[in-house]
Amino acid sequence: MATEEKKKELLEKLRNAVIQYDEDTAKEAANEALAVGLEANDAIFNGLVSGMVEVGKMFEAQEYFVPELLMCADALYAGLDILKPHVQQLDLGVKGSVVIGTVEGDVHDIGKNIVKMMFDVAGFTVYDLGRDVPLDKFVQEQLRTDSDLVCLSAMMTTTMTGMKKVIDDLRAKNPNVKIMIGGAPVSQDVADKYGADGYAKDATNALKDAINMIESLKKMKDEVEAKKAK
Amino acid sequence: MNSRERVLKLFAGEEVDRPPCFSGMGNVTTEGLKSLGQNFAATHLDAKMMAKAAASTYRLFGFECGVAPFDLCIEAEALGCEINVYAHSEDLLYPTIKKKLIHNEAEMEISIPGDLTTRGRVPLMLDVIRLMKKDIGGEAAVGSYVLGPFTLAGQIMELNDLLKLSFKKPDKIGKLLDQLSGVIILVAQEYEKAGVDYITVREMGATSDVLSPRVFKSLILPYLTKIFAKLSVPSVLHICGKTNDIVPFMAESGAKAVSVDQKNDVAETRRKLGPKALVFGNYDPYNVLVAGTPDLIRTTIKKCMDDGVSAVWPGCDIWPTVPPGNMKAMMEVVQNYRR
Repeated sequence: MATEEKKKELLEKLRNAVIQYDEDTAKEAANEALAVGLEANDAIFNGLVSGMVEVGKMFEAQEYFVPELLMCADALYAGLDILKPHVQQLDLGVKGSVVIGTVEGDVHDIGKNIVKMMFDVAGFTVYDLGRDVPLDKFVQEQLRTDSDLVCLSAMMTTTMTGMKKVIDDLRAKNPNVKIMIGGAPVSQDVADKYGADGYAKDATNALKDAINMIESLKKMKDEVEAKKAK
Repeated sequence: MNSRERVLKLFAGEEVDRPPCFSGMGNVTTEGLKSLGQNFAATHLDAKMMAKAAASTYRLFGFECGVAPFDLCIEAEALGCEINVYAHSEDLLYPTIKKKLIHNEAEMEISIPGDLTTRGRVPLMLDVIRLMKKDIGGEAAVGSYVLGPFTLAGQIMELNDLLKLSFKKPDKIGKLLDQLSGVIILVAQEYEKAGVDYITVREMGATSDVLSPRVFKSLILPYLTKIFAKLSVPSVLHICGKTNDIVPFMAESGAKAVSVDQKNDVAETRRKLGPKALVFGNYDPYNVLVAGTPDLIRTTIKKCMDDGVSAVWPGCDIWPTVPPGNMKAMMEVVQNYRR
């Protein structure tokens, strides 16, 4: 087992590799972490994700812009790919599956990919439909995979209105599914109007909201099953 | 003073009775399409239909211009990209690029076709401009738009690659932007020959929501400057999203007017650029014009003018489903405004 000091050093190295968008160092640090017996889960959350949280702050402060954000995400994935197969148990306490995509007419997927990354690190099973996704496809994929959550993204006002249709369709077919929307033109107001369960201002909030939603969904299911058992 | 005279005088720096209410971007409405019995998807592919649709917002509401095209794919298509007009869909969907030209960094060496202005829908656009001129050109300003080089680059290659390479390999991106500036100049000059009164260059990919002002200045501004130096009709540079930090650079580009959206603090921009600069903007064309009440429209439009816009102009394309009563409310508040 690694000493506390070595452990701290490696977590710091992972964190900085993400912040400094250094893919090679992220890989190196991930391998070292495994070699000295650091928990993969620890390395992901207290190393890589901690770096990404800092990147988020720098983005908000306009020290970093989208190109830097994308490069940081590459570094995070470089480390994650190595660590993920070794994850024993995720300590988020909730697992779920999610269908995610950018609605038809919209070919912008950068925001969607950042949100997807947050689900990946949290250990969700992600069904990524990509971009310019025909509206029916979201409903079909949710039914096929029985996912807990559907995330819709639209970068342009001109495509945002398509989300309403998907939401109505999903509700009709599966009233229990949780739906989250995001993208530049989306606001809490739009989410309310369209009947979405959540609206993601940014990737970190998306993940927090998603976990809350799935928790409440699980609770609901448990209650229903408890009633049935009686 | 009719609408065309008002717009041209404004561009020429002469006195106008009030700010014009027009746009350099798409402003076709569902109401207009309905009055013509036209389907949106088909309208992108037929010169007569496009010209009629573009004139309909002036005809129905007195909006002071006719602008075509309605999508952002003309230049990319001429370069060889395939587009999707979503002919199957009953929803209003704007055409997008289906197949890109550059799929990875290794494919960035492109050659510009010599017959560029006869490819894709460029010839159709020239017909549209001539038809619009004949139809409403005596009364309303006739305009068109091209993309800025960075936004065009985002149409022909993966945005993900473009953004990362702008950071990692600016020289390589600079070379592509230089080539694309040549493309944009060629297309815009054809539009000028066909008779447009003004041209808008839409460089929304370079907003400060995405790129740092530093990268905007070093990597993109030089090519915008190159484009505006070659245009002879009045020109507008439009960038949406966060722009307060880059408006001085936008003004430096040589564009006659700077166009910004609702995220811009126009009062501050006015202070920065001085009383003579032409600043167009900056109402939200969806949340205010389409989804807002006539009351919200009146207060928003009045605020734009109080803040100092030279023309009342939307932050982006007007979303077609705008209720006729909302268009009317906007036109009335501008027509009755006195500084």
